[in-house]
Amino acid sequence: MKIVSNLLQQIEGIQIYYIIGLLLFVGLFIVIVIRTMRMPDKEMEEIKSSILKDDDSEETATS
Amino acid sequence: MENQKFYYDNKIVKLFVLATIIWGVVGVIVGLLIALQLAFPIFNFDLEFTTFGRMRPLHTNAIIFAFVGNAIFAGVYYSLQKLLKARMFNDMLSRIHFWGWQLVIVLAAVTFALGISTSKEYAELEWPIDILITIVWVIFGWNMIGTIVKRRVQHIYAAIWWYLATFLGVAMLHVVNSLELPISLTKSYSIYAGAQDAVVQWWYGHNAVAFFLTTPFLGLMYYYLPKAANRPIYSYKLSIIHFWSLIFLYMWAGPHHLLYQALPDWAQALGVTFSIMLIAPSWGGMINGLLTLRGAWDRVRDSAALKFMVVAVTAYGMSTFEGPMMSLKFVNQLTHFTDWTIAHVHIAGMGWNAGLVFGMLYWMIPKLFKTKLFSEKLANLHFWIATLAILIYAIPLYWAAVTQWLMWHEYTPEGFLAYPNFLETLTQILPMYKIRIVGGTLFLTGFLIMVYNLYKTMAAGSVEDNELAEAPALVLQGKRNPMQETVHRWVERRGVRFSIWVFIVLAIGGAVEILPMIFIKSNIPTIESVKPYTPLELEGRDLYVSEGCYTCHSQVVRPFRWETDRYGEYSKIGEFVYDHPFQWGSRRTGPDLARAGFVGGPMYKNSAWHYSHFMNPQKMNEQSIMPKYDWFARKGLNLELVPKKIRAMQTLGVPYPEGYDKVAVDDLKKQANEIVADLKKSNIEVKPLTEMVAMIAYIHKLGRDIAPPPVAAAETEETPQKEVKLLDSAEDLAVAGKIFATTCAACHGADGKGIATFPNLTDDEWLKGNSPSEVFRSISNGNITKGMIPYKNQFSEKQITQLTSYVLLKLNKKK
Repeated sequence: MKIVSNLLQQIEGIQIYYIIGLLLFVGLFIVIVIRTMRMPDKEMEEIKSSILKDDDSEETATS
Repeated sequence: MENQKFYYDNKIVKLFVLATIIWGVVGVIVGLLIALQLAFPIFNFDLEFTTFGRMRPLHTNAIIFAFVGNAIFAGVYYSLQKLLKARMFNDMLSRIHFWGWQLVIVLAAVTFALGISTSKEYAELEWPIDILITIVWVIFGWNMIGTIVKRRVQHIYAAIWWYLATFLGVAMLHVVNSLELPISLTKSYSIYAGAQDAVVQWWYGHNAVAFFLTTPFLGLMYYYLPKAANRPIYSYKLSIIHFWSLIFLYMWAGPHHLLYQALPDWAQALGVTFSIMLIAPSWGGMINGLLTLRGAWDRVRDSAALKFMVVAVTAYGMSTFEGPMMSLKFVNQLTHFTDWTIAHVHIAGMGWNAGLVFGMLYWMIPKLFKTKLFSEKLANLHFWIATLAILIYAIPLYWAAVTQWLMWHEYTPEGFLAYPNFLETLTQILPMYKIRIVGGTLFLTGFLIMVYNLYKTMAAGSVEDNELAEAPALVLQGKRNPMQETVHRWVERRGVRFSIWVFIVLAIGGAVEILPMIFIKSNIPTIESVKPYTPLELEGRDLYVSEGCYTCHSQVVRPFRWETDRYGEYSKIGEFVYDHPFQWGSRRTGPDLARAGFVGGPMYKNSAWHYSHFMNPQKMNEQSIMPKYDWFARKGLNLELVPKKIRAMQTLGVPYPEGYDKVAVDDLKKQANEIVADLKKSNIEVKPLTEMVAMIAYIHKLGRDIAPPPVAAAETEETPQKEVKLLDSAEDLAVAGKIFATTCAACHGADGKGIATFPNLTDDEWLKGNSPSEVFRSISNGNITKGMIPYKNQFSEKQITQLTSYVLLKLNKKK
């Protein structure tokens, strides 16, 4: 770990690198949103309805 | 394709359900006990095993890991098999997981009661149990991923992503935060120190909320809410977006637990920024849950299970809005160290977590036992009692938080703290603590109604331990065809590949927070005058840690005038470099102790005062809610471990001289004898090698290294003697009587006759004279070495004149 320590200490202004992380997030977020929104609706409907197709899915029985 | 026959393992689900119910009752009862202790200290029972400091971690761990933990496993084992159309990967792993987890819980309960604790909130367990947790957790993950690999469905449903994130997130958090250096089977030191330890701990603490109380519950919501409503989740696309956003953002937000504390600004800014951003994905989940019920609200009316789920999702939305608001620095001034935090976590715990567990149990148990719920009426009664209980619990605590915070920073027109005695601010909120007990009792009542209802339901049916099912085998799809399959579909259809991506996303935030704090020295500037703890102080510190003193007393002064006036100089990062672990705390039910060793400071008390206070806090001040610690005077220190502790500290970088471990015990005895001699001057006899002496040594170390020399401070600020005219009006004496009761009675007694060695004010034996001007001067300048602070720094001249009048006219009966 010493090599990591030495390396990090030599980087000037490293404290602001969370801003880089923030930008990374924003960039990835935009990509994920665009790609997700372009997914076919039919496929999404099939997936989300799939869990209801078993014996457990009738309405909660009560006395 | 031909169907394959297989059997669901319902027995493991049943075991986890039973454990959930049993530990839930235990956890709530212990919660009620500690609520009683805060309002009525008699409920500490004067036993070392049942003090608030030991019971509070027992309550939090019982609720989080025993009640909620078992509920998660019950929900996961049931839904995972159904979603993947497969039996759990390995029955033996399932059984080891169950019994291993119950063993962890029992060990936790026993060790906390015995005072074995690391003091890291929600990670208080000592290293052997940490290792056991790691093993059990890996078995859980192995079993889960194994089941995913042998599944019979192509798609891994959204609920399972959350389960995977839970497994990976908790594994990462637990391992990193639990890195510690063992001293014995029951004692270890965190490898991190001070601010580093604080960052790692609250990275863990915050994300324990995320990955134990949020992600698994979102997974459960994605399965049980659609099932109970018999409607698909509102938007699958939204589930994808809020999944990746939430697991990425959560990991960064930990430092919001340390605002205005001894932490670099960049780390605090990081916590605030990401906390605010967290609202979006959190509300994505809430919206997805609530909109699932669109057009189906009539079912909510008829089903207690759905009602609980709706309250759960609503409480989730409220908490995930309130949390980021609490992260704003100006709001955090109020919410941190007050009961606001306690109210916040209970809205989430009782509403979101318990609500979803109750909803899940009401839906799942009739299915599991192939019968009907015994009584929907009782379930509805439970729902209304529980919902009312949450409000009766939380509203008084919000009120208490605002009240106490306003009192903390209230100033008189003369510029002095209006309530300089911390206890006044606590006494004021005790009625709210009593109302909180009503809320807790109601919640327990509702819980017991559920236990009865579910018991009757289980008795009416039976579980098929191995339930026959059938489904076609999975056909592997092979490489991705970009024309037919999106990237996300491709990633999610391979459990291991999906897990790796989740791990990378989780690791980024943790790395950003923790690595700079550990590796960049400029983040932890040292202070030359700050010295390592002496062996006796270290023994005292270990006791402070194991007794859970941090549950009531913080050790970090924030840079506000109303804190520095009350406690002393604000805390600097460099003060804590030898603290393994840090002890900053998160709630002040008692005063901050960071400057308790600063002779002449507002928090300093001498050895005799601490001895008398530990022996009987209520004798020193009737309204104190601190438990007795009289066994400190009886229990001896274990000197065998002292050299080992010194060597461990050296390993962790504490600069004790080479070979100091060989003379550490001698140094310890020397310092202990000095304290004993000091106590003897006050006619207090105590053996030197006792816990009492070690605790006094430790408390007198706090803040001492950065304090100015006491003699110089006293000399420069001495108030000269002057003529004083006594104020004998009823109004003046009433004001003075109140000040005396809240400030002076702790040492001189409510009747002024003195406590222990503190002077009697009713007789004529006054060392510094009892003329009005002499008494005025004594109050103004104090007697620093005896623990009496110069009250001219806390009260105006008029108030000191009133106090002088009260002492002489009412107590000393002078005419």
